[in-house]
Amino acid sequence: MSEILKVEGLRKAFGGVVVANGIDFSLSAGAMHCLIGPNGAGKSSFFRLLLGEHAPDAGTITFDGGDITGLRSFQRIRRGISVKFQVPGIFKALSVRQNLEVAFQDHLHGHSLDATIREMLEFTDLQGEEMTPAGILSHGQQQWLEIAMAVGVEPKLLLLDEPTAGMSPDETHKTGEMLHELNARGITILAVEHDMAFVEQIAERVTVLHFGSIFTEGTIAEIIDHPGVQEIYLGTSDV
Amino acid sequence: MTPTSSTLAPRSRARVLLARLEGPQTMGRGPAFWGTAFLAVAAAAAYPLMADAWTVGNAAYFLIWTFMAMGLGVVWGYAGALSFGQTAFFGFAGYAYGVLTLNLGAAYGLTFVALALSVAFGGLFALVIGYFMFYGRIQGVFIGIVTLSVTLVLETFMAQTAGPQWRIGEARLNGFNGMSGMPPLTLPWFGGDILLYPGPSLYYLLLGLVVVCYLGLRIMLNSRFGNVLVAIRENPHRVGMLGYDVRLYQMLAFGIGGAFAALSGALYTAWGQYITPSSMGLTSAALPIVWVAVGGRRDITATLIGTLVVLAGFQSLTIYGSQYALVVMGTLLLLTVLAAPEGLVVGAMKLLGRVFQRSKR
Amino acid sequence: MALFQSIFAMLYQFGDTFAFLVISCAGLAVIFGMMGVINLAHGEFIMCGAYVTASAARAGMPLPMAILSGALVAGIVGMIVERLVIRHFYHRPLDSIIATWGISLIATQGVLIVLGSTMQGVGTPLGSVEVGIRSYSLYRLVLMACALGLLGGLYILFYHSRFGVIARATIQKPQMALALGVDTGRVYGLTFGLGAALAGLAGGLYAPTMTMVPTMGATFIVESFVTVVVGGADIFVGAAPAAAILALIKAGLTAWYGQLFGQIGLLITVILVIRILPGGLSGWIKGTTR
Repeated sequence: MSEILKVEGLRKAFGGVVVANGIDFSLSAGAMHCLIGPNGAGKSSFFRLLLGEHAPDAGTITFDGGDITGLRSFQRIRRGISVKFQVPGIFKALSVRQNLEVAFQDHLHGHSLDATIREMLEFTDLQGEEMTPAGILSHGQQQWLEIAMAVGVEPKLLLLDEPTAGMSPDETHKTGEMLHELNARGITILAVEHDMAFVEQIAERVTVLHFGSIFTEGTIAEIIDHPGVQEIYLGTSDV
Repeated sequence: MTPTSSTLAPRSRARVLLARLEGPQTMGRGPAFWGTAFLAVAAAAAYPLMADAWTVGNAAYFLIWTFMAMGLGVVWGYAGALSFGQTAFFGFAGYAYGVLTLNLGAAYGLTFVALALSVAFGGLFALVIGYFMFYGRIQGVFIGIVTLSVTLVLETFMAQTAGPQWRIGEARLNGFNGMSGMPPLTLPWFGGDILLYPGPSLYYLLLGLVVVCYLGLRIMLNSRFGNVLVAIRENPHRVGMLGYDVRLYQMLAFGIGGAFAALSGALYTAWGQYITPSSMGLTSAALPIVWVAVGGRRDITATLIGTLVVLAGFQSLTIYGSQYALVVMGTLLLLTVLAAPEGLVVGAMKLLGRVFQRSKR
Repeated sequence: MALFQSIFAMLYQFGDTFAFLVISCAGLAVIFGMMGVINLAHGEFIMCGAYVTASAARAGMPLPMAILSGALVAGIVGMIVERLVIRHFYHRPLDSIIATWGISLIATQGVLIVLGSTMQGVGTPLGSVEVGIRSYSLYRLVLMACALGLLGGLYILFYHSRFGVIARATIQKPQMALALGVDTGRVYGLTFGLGAALAGLAGGLYAPTMTMVPTMGATFIVESFVTVVVGGADIFVGAAPAAAILALIKAGLTAWYGQLFGQIGLLITVILVIRILPGGLSGWIKGTTR
């Protein structure tokens, strides 16, 4: 399979704090991949570097065959990277429909825009909430709305930062199904996640991040059995 | 967008535009709203028949300011960038109109060319300031401070242009006393130009401009561009992460707001045939904020109505002395942000809407 | 000797501008840095201090006492304003600017109505000293010393006093301070009062050099805004170095091109600085030392 994302030697430090310490990472097109690691391992910083919110001190990021290391955030999004943040990043005062319009209007017009918005309302189970201000939706619904919005930029790669944080088990499971559906449409998925049940539900392969570098990578079973990973999470290791 | 609009057959461009007269970004929809709006314009059109020329010229004066107010509504209410310096673009264009007409003269409709150029210069000036602010990532209160500083420095600059060396072609800038003696807007016509002095003809021209600008802004605000603006106001970070260049949108909105302020400025100079540096001073800069805040900044209709009401109130108070009127304006501003931050007209319109809904059931 | 004279002239010009920037922006910077509120009535607190100082001095009070009473009255007015108005806006910083602008309009025009368009001022004291062929106002040299004293005093207040510790804690972690039993409302009130008093002090110090008009506050606000914008949120690593840099630019431009270009130069500097250093000087200094 071809690589959609390739990160080489990515390094970033804030003063003395190294958040990315020479990360080499690649992701094949069509994958569903999870990124795990204890708090402070550098997961969110890695996402910020991918999104162009931080400029790396060294290293390159290649996406879909092109070097995007020097691009601004919105330019990377236009290349086909999309993101769903941990805290729902929606437009709270605007209606659900307007939220989706802003997300989809760049690629779609007129009837196809209307049709896609209806499809997305169905996809996120938000039919009937079209005119509701997004801020008064339940937490889970807000998360789903943002996932739907993230799809609007027609991404090749979707980054999700703890998509199930604060969700009930039922909601979490439904989120997993949504991600599988998006993956089936050809979107590569990379998620930061803590909930191991959810990781098992969605991920084929898992990468463990620790102190800003890749600790190990493997299938979910390999990772669970890996003694070093257990030590990291129990905090007995200072690798 | 209403469900019915999506079932229409292939929509022509004009129809799409007309459909955008209504939308989530503007209050007021349906026959009741447009009927009332039509009656209001009709009443305004009939007004000169019932009033003397001086009163009509005075009403024209009110209309002049509404452009700056609507522009500030776009920048502040919709795009979320609180600009205190709209008077900078107002004054800039006001002086530009003076300099251009004094040099070009009033024949052949050149005053209208000067008007258009002044608006373009004012808008361009706003784009430049907007570029430095938004591409410099400054936001929130700093936008207010920088814009206010710009207008105050411009005032200081113009106030010291008294010497004879401060002239552009035929036009003396005249320092603190300001420029005067430029021609009013002049329509070329068979058998002699029509000079639009404050009176019915200027009033009709302005009324037409207000209607066109208001409807045009409604369409713009309900379009894709307007969608992105309000989204930026709500959560600029997310908008960037949907692939939009937030800075560009903010800069463009600021440029549009500046062009509207410039339109007011050029028309003001044409109306009174004078412009002074104090039009860019601290007190002048405060007034647009008062109109827009009191009316309601998040809706263009409320901004328009609020501006006209506050202006009329201000003028009737000025009879007792302008300093009394300004104290009242300050109090009004303070009370509005304390008690009705949405604005008084928006509050009233929401109330009316609710009463109307209930009576319909 | 001629070289010494021109160096002294440059230093004097620089010191004079530096003092003006520091003294006029201190109150604004304290309120903005500690509370996040931009006080658009800053100029009116300055006017208040100046008017009280001039009145007290003409009533026979010694000038230093009159200046301090100007600061005191402005501070008390500030605390009343905070209690009545500002308190409602801590969660709405943008609205707080609008509210303070309303206060500014009311104050300027109210003073115009009550006290008329001008008030008799006090003359500049202390006379002048001669250096070479030029003479320099001794009072302005005193103002330069005052600016340095002010910075030192504020530093001691915020970093070496109980109030300073509590105030900084409240600003950084309001919930935590509240949980520790700090009356955060009182801290905000005192901080705003301090900012207003510093504005009043600025008015008092410059009262002998200016014409007493209700709009005199406007003379100060561009310079003080600009200093705070360039400096960023921290008065010590932000506003003070910003004042020094701006004073250098303004003094240079004023010396070569005149007063007006000094001001325009300031504004252009600001616009360039915000393009290059979005967090202001303090953001940049903190960023490089982190």
